[in-house]
Amino acid sequence: MNNIGTTRREFLSRASGGFGTIALAGMLGQNIDLAEDPLKPRIGHHAAKADRVIFLYSTGGVSQVDTFNHRPQLTKDHGKSITASRWLNTSGEFKRFLIKPRYQFKQYGQSGAWVSELFPHLGSVIDDICVLNAMHCDSDGHDKATLAAHTGSAQFARPSAGSWISYGLGTVNQNMPSFMVLAPSAPYAGTQTWGSDFLPACHQGTHVLPGKEPLPNIRPRLADGGLQQMELNLRNKLNETHLRTRAADQMLNARIRSFETAFGMQREAPEAFDLSGETAATLELYGIQQDTTAGFGWQCLVARRLAERGVRFLELIDVGSSNNWDSHGNMADHEKLAKAIDKPIAGLLTDLKQRGMLDSTLVVWTTEFGRTPFHERADHPGREHHKHCFSSWMAGGGVKGGIVHGTSDEYGIRTAEDAVHTHDLHATMLHLLGIDHERLTFRHAGRDFRLTDVHGHVVKQIIT
Amino acid sequence: MFTHKVSMKPETRKWLPMVRQSRGNTSIWKSLVIAITICSISKLPTCSAQSDEDFFESNVRPLLVKHCQECHGEKKQEGSLRLDSRDGWLRGGERGQAIHPGQPENSLLIQAVKYEDSDLEMPPSNPLTEQEVAVLEAWVKRGATDPRTESATSTAMSLEEAKNFWAFQPLKKPTPPHDTDSTQTQNPIDAFVLAQLKKNNLSPVPVADRRTLIRRATFDLTGLPPTPGEIKAFVNDKSHDAFETVVKRLLDSPAYGERWGRHWLDVARYADTAGDGSDYPVREAYQYRNWVIDAFNKDQPFNEFIREQIAGDILARDGSAEEYADRVTATGFLAIGKRYGYKASPTYQYLDFADVIDSVGRSLLGLSIGCARCHDHKYDPVSSEDYYALYGIMQSTKWAFPGGEEQKRPADFPPLVPAEEAAKRDKAKQQTLARLDREITALKQERAELNPKFLAGGADLGFESQKPGQPPGQPWVSAGPIEVTTKAQSPFDHIHPKGKVGVRLGSGQPTDGLRYVFENGLKATPGGQMHFSVDFRTVTDSLQKGAFRFYLGRGVIQSLAVECSATSTEFAIRNGTKWETICKLTPGTWYTLQLTIDPDLKKYSGIIGTVDNLISFRDKSTGANWDGVADCFICDGFGFIEGPACARDIDNVGLQTIAFKAPGTGPIFLRITDSASQKRLAEIDAKLKELTNNRQMAAASIAYPYAYGVTEGSPVNARLQKRGEPHRLGDEIPRRNLKVLGGDPISEGGGSGRLDLANWITRPTNPLTARVFVNRVWQWHFGQGIVATPSDFGSRGELPTHPELLDWLAEKFIASGWSVKSLHHWIMSSKTYQRASTDNQTNFAMDPSNRFYWRYSRRPLDAESTRDAMLAISGKLDRQVPSAHPFPPVETWGFTIHNPFHAVYDSNHRSVYLMVQRNQRHPYLALFDAADPNQSVAKRQPTTTPTQALFLLNSPFVHEQAKAFASRVATVSGDDRSKILWAFETAHGQIPVEADIQESLRFLAAYRNEIAKESAEHDHEIAAWSALARVLFTSNQFLYVD
Repeated sequence: MNNIGTTRREFLSRASGGFGTIALAGMLGQNIDLAEDPLKPRIGHHAAKADRVIFLYSTGGVSQVDTFNHRPQLTKDHGKSITASRWLNTSGEFKRFLIKPRYQFKQYGQSGAWVSELFPHLGSVIDDICVLNAMHCDSDGHDKATLAAHTGSAQFARPSAGSWISYGLGTVNQNMPSFMVLAPSAPYAGTQTWGSDFLPACHQGTHVLPGKEPLPNIRPRLADGGLQQMELNLRNKLNETHLRTRAADQMLNARIRSFETAFGMQREAPEAFDLSGETAATLELYGIQQDTTAGFGWQCLVARRLAERGVRFLELIDVGSSNNWDSHGNMADHEKLAKAIDKPIAGLLTDLKQRGMLDSTLVVWTTEFGRTPFHERADHPGREHHKHCFSSWMAGGGVKGGIVHGTSDEYGIRTAEDAVHTHDLHATMLHLLGIDHERLTFRHAGRDFRLTDVHGHVVKQIIT
Repeated sequence: MFTHKVSMKPETRKWLPMVRQSRGNTSIWKSLVIAITICSISKLPTCSAQSDEDFFESNVRPLLVKHCQECHGEKKQEGSLRLDSRDGWLRGGERGQAIHPGQPENSLLIQAVKYEDSDLEMPPSNPLTEQEVAVLEAWVKRGATDPRTESATSTAMSLEEAKNFWAFQPLKKPTPPHDTDSTQTQNPIDAFVLAQLKKNNLSPVPVADRRTLIRRATFDLTGLPPTPGEIKAFVNDKSHDAFETVVKRLLDSPAYGERWGRHWLDVARYADTAGDGSDYPVREAYQYRNWVIDAFNKDQPFNEFIREQIAGDILARDGSAEEYADRVTATGFLAIGKRYGYKASPTYQYLDFADVIDSVGRSLLGLSIGCARCHDHKYDPVSSEDYYALYGIMQSTKWAFPGGEEQKRPADFPPLVPAEEAAKRDKAKQQTLARLDREITALKQERAELNPKFLAGGADLGFESQKPGQPPGQPWVSAGPIEVTTKAQSPFDHIHPKGKVGVRLGSGQPTDGLRYVFENGLKATPGGQMHFSVDFRTVTDSLQKGAFRFYLGRGVIQSLAVECSATSTEFAIRNGTKWETICKLTPGTWYTLQLTIDPDLKKYSGIIGTVDNLISFRDKSTGANWDGVADCFICDGFGFIEGPACARDIDNVGLQTIAFKAPGTGPIFLRITDSASQKRLAEIDAKLKELTNNRQMAAASIAYPYAYGVTEGSPVNARLQKRGEPHRLGDEIPRRNLKVLGGDPISEGGGSGRLDLANWITRPTNPLTARVFVNRVWQWHFGQGIVATPSDFGSRGELPTHPELLDWLAEKFIASGWSVKSLHHWIMSSKTYQRASTDNQTNFAMDPSNRFYWRYSRRPLDAESTRDAMLAISGKLDRQVPSAHPFPPVETWGFTIHNPFHAVYDSNHRSVYLMVQRNQRHPYLALFDAADPNQSVAKRQPTTTPTQALFLLNSPFVHEQAKAFASRVATVSGDDRSKILWAFETAHGQIPVEADIQESLRFLAAYRNEIAKESAEHDHEIAAWSALARVLFTSNQFLYVD
């Protein structure tokens, strides 16, 4: 047995060829060579401020004026009518009524940034957060806007941001996927939101389903680890014979190594999902023990554990395409959704900070679009889709904390200064990771594609 | 950022050194520009002293650079406008000249920066400051001096240049080179390849051994492994054409079409769901898939294969009856792309067409025509006009609608029988339904007359039993001033027998009124109608000006069917969303209102008036979102005129499925319900039940099957959509061929022009179609194409490595009558195909990716082959062609983007038959890099990931197949060694080396030993052989083909 093991190790060290770190710089206009290990860690175009991303996504369209964009004038002018130039995707001029926020705001932290009562815990860590109050996008349909927020393209399936980043930077822990999505269900547009489309499929998001078996096939089907080890040893023997006359073939080496990695994942991934080693204080920090926050708390805490294990891009989606933030009927819906994520996210930021990881971890929170600060009826309790102005935030990973970037008009209807488009958000994410969004390209169907298509500006003002 | 070279004038030179210092630092550069701009503006009053040119340089140029030129400059020309030269803004963009010197008020640029027109606000997200606007205005007013001249740099290939580009040149008829080594050339393909090898100082490796060869050929042509019997036959075949025999046998196997059909389905972006947000299932999609498989199996000439996919429905009309269904099915190629619409509406079709035009271009012509949707192609000779010429063809076509968020049922699927036959069957079905309806109506009429309770929803709906002087009680619900009174008795007696009381509603609040919920509410049935009636008058002395209304629909305003409304002087009805006044009313006069509602059409008609003076109206729309249920009547004060409603009397409310008698035809008398009537009633009820059942079955019966395809629509030319935006229309573009392929107009009376398009694409003078397809076949055989970008033969694509070979193959392919099987035959007969995949360091150093075919490139099994091979070897593979997917019944479809369709259907059929969902990828197929059906896939990108390895290690599928394989091993006679030999040969097609046999023997022994320690319960033999099988199924010898 030992003998076989030694041979295997020698054999594998030859097969894998070691992990070099190659540079991404100078890759403009040419695809990363697919014969290379596509997940090999790479260095970006410039010095990176962040090593990884935790991308928090709230499905359905979160109201800006009820969360982070404090518009006192909206409260003052409640019930007054304005002229809206479009309404529910219909062009024309419409008389609409301003609707005051359902939730009260107050100032938090040194920075005194305004946060509504929906997010008291986030308020308590606001000095680590850069609020973006002049976000805007191009679509006010869920499907398109969700795709745009993830892939930069509202119309056609394209690789998601996580896939681009995995493609560009690879990953440091070969025992884990580079891009993982922790979500109880898919948002609008389904798994396209984390698809790799024309990029190699190893860059697609690996869906982790909160629950008993977070990753498919992660648990050995054999009760006895020794038996599986025996199978692995024999497989390696046979592969060694096979490889002897085919030594130059990288594909074969990569396959051999993938079994080693999978073997490691069987051990490491369940470990990452196992919270039994976390202290009571930590569990409390994320709200794991309360029913309302247990679900997203698990996602946040597991995200931290996966971040510690070197996963490059983590996306956390709170709810799927139904019963989400899409509060057409009644803004009261926002309350329970906010409660589910407020404490877990604040816990995540606090925990990352106390572990010294926040500096190297970029945390982004966003949604597909905002909600109308006005309505057809003066007394209507709901809000409709609104693409012209919404709120998101970023924290850690080279982003200035305790600032509010971008302003809207006095009602939160249109962006006023320092508008940030979804493309800009993507460009900034890539920039913080050391990637020039204009230079990370993939030649496909006769064109060089980018995450930001032909758009995008890095929001330099918010970078430390 | 720095697309424009800034030439500095004296004024600005003062700060030039600073800029130099900070070059490369954008933020400093930016803040400087801002600083300069601001400081110049603050001196604006004195600016008039500056020369015009200086004013431009110091004030205007930086502003244009900062705010405008990124989108209107060298890199991008949003709205076709450039602002980086005088010529640019003079020529203007889509809206015309951008600046009229001296006239700021007439200059679009000024309007745009002032945000005067909500459709034209520039820059789009960060408006200029007032001062900046003032600068631009001043500049235009001064005459808009601008020294910048245009430097025209177009990268696009002109039509003239295209003539010299290799891909657009006619097929040459190359002669295979002669001076090559005859021992290395089996056929002309080898001659071409060898010539290139020699030129590049490469020497080919020898041909592969027979076991390797048959495994390669079998996976290549059928996607399945060879059986030991097949291997043996080939190894022992001493005839000179032994390999040809193998190839012929494989080409004749139905598994061939399942494999090569799948290749085409990648290109055709095949899926079983529509791909809009709710991802509606398409029950008929599989017919197209099967058609493709059959077409390959019967070696349908490829040009016909294409023609039928583009214009099968048109060809079917003039073809034989047997081919009709197949040809219509073939048009699935067009229909099967990703759909974007929530309903069958032209609003969304521009995106569907974008997919179709792009797919047709890439899959058949190797041209990215889709790039010309928003602007002329930047590199290839395809203009926007070309795009919209084809767009018109698509717009003249009628598209099957698969179902979507708003319109949840499929529509416009073409029948698989000829139009006359379909009409005949439709007519027969209609006649059956009509006959049944007549019988049902007659019986209901008779029943109604026998039992007045049945009439109009019941005997006066309990009105007559209400106590006068009080508000109506159960089953009525009321609020506000209201009472039952003899004063409100209607004079009409054709709905209910004449009674004693009606109800009087006072003015009150809008919410005051009367409600009645019909115990047996009506539900829409196909072809069925609903009839409603009510008598009313306004009370003479009520002076209120507001209107009251009658509501009919489901529940308390839950789903509106019909609304009528009246003031004391006017009667109005709601037609869709609009109120329409129908007639004048006289206060105090009784009126009767009758409505006939057609839920199928969502239309209604009616009459209103007195016996002598009836006014009719027709073809009015019900509530757009009415769900077809009518079970609630309301009279309240929310009418077509706001304000307190006038007081009114109401009587004789009725709702039923048969028509009411006309006013004045009464009176209705109560029939005595004697025992004879009772008996007859029971008979009628039984008969009605039977007939209703029959009708339901007849209505649901399928008169003929459908295809997910297209048919001819109304011929129309499209207008160019500026920037690809459907509401920004340009000139009308006549339907025609691409200019680069001849630009032919569609033929006279050619309908949509699809048949012309099919003919243009497949005519032998078009060099692209044959070249593109033979290159694909080559790629599917060798792993890479002669042109490495198989869907892009344009200037951004790769050049062919063997242009002469490509043309030789294309020529020969056409000459053979576009026979795909012949093409396989030539390619596989070559030594080039038969070479081993062994290493050669010298060759490898010079040509690592084997672009010159010095060996055969080893390839991983694709997703389908891996799964099918495991099933085949385990003995579990079901070789039947499965029937339709088990989608939920169409009547239950209510998928929305909030609750999209999602399913994974398990089976042991070949993987090509798995249900392919567009939005939620099949977990296995996605994991192993099968084609993403969201777009045409030219080439799969195999990856090697740990999650794949996890599947191979731990999935129930692999474990089940291994166990089944172990049971097969158990039936092999002999000792462990014989079983091992059988197992290796079956799984890998090779006889194992002695070392591996020994390792396996040791493994089996150790494994048995290990599990014996754990438990005596196990079937140790099956467990140990399953373990060995798992290793065999997941080792590289299995997963790769040499």
